[in-house]
Amino acid sequence: MNLEQELKSALRRQDPSPDFAERVLARVAAAPLRTAPRVSQVWVRWLAAIAAALLLAAGGLEYRHYRGERAKAQVLLAVRIAGSKLNKAQRKVHMLAHRSNS
Amino acid sequence: MDFASLVRQHQAMVFSIAWHMLRDRAVAEELAQDVFLSLHQHLAELESPEHIQFWLRRVTSNRALDVVRRRQRRPMVSLENAPEPVALTPTGDPLLGTALKKLVAALPEKSRAIVVLRYQEDLDPAEIARVLGIPVGTVKSQLQRALALLREKLSRSLGELGI
Repeated sequence: MNLEQELKSALRRQDPSPDFAERVLARVAAAPLRTAPRVSQVWVRWLAAIAAALLLAAGGLEYRHYRGERAKAQVLLAVRIAGSKLNKAQRKVHMLAHRSNS
Repeated sequence: MDFASLVRQHQAMVFSIAWHMLRDRAVAEELAQDVFLSLHQHLAELESPEHIQFWLRRVTSNRALDVVRRRQRRPMVSLENAPEPVALTPTGDPLLGTALKKLVAALPEKSRAIVVLRYQEDLDPAEIARVLGIPVGTVKSQLQRALALLREKLSRSLGELGI
């Protein structure tokens, strides 16, 4: 017995049911159409993605600028407070010196 | 070529791969229909009749392998434990063919796919490797092992019958 020959014979192709092709075509007709996106749709998606990226970048820059300004204002306020305290201290020193002289 | 002609041209190939892998006509037909439905959706990506045939073989084999693996979660009889086919005669007996189909269906799923593609589709090991996406060496070794197992099972059956 030639096993390989017997396998070829046993595993030869067989036809499905006679109405197989019709059933496939009916399913194809009933299936929702899956179309490839049009070129314009692809462009719109790219533009939207680029716009979103630009917006994020601009927002990031604006936020950095805002934080810088805030820090600057805080430093100026601190300098101003320190200045006024120094003036006060200086006035007190002058007053004490004046009293001790007189 | 229109889609209906494509279905008619390849339906025996697709159905038979599924049928020889699954040994269940209804499931094989359902799987074959799904494959053609998928072909319809991917037709624009396929460049030539050869590409379509290759794609059909690959998708059918892979889907049939998936079904076999899903079934294996349920208890199954392995080839070693499968009952011996009865009433075999050396050649020309349709029962021998039936017994061989049953033995092939009891092979491990990958070996089964390799045997089906080798003897149903007459593909060489390199082509089988491309269809299944595995190394040629694996195809050759699994094919040899499957043939040895089938030969042993069949000769045991024939011996028991005194043929």
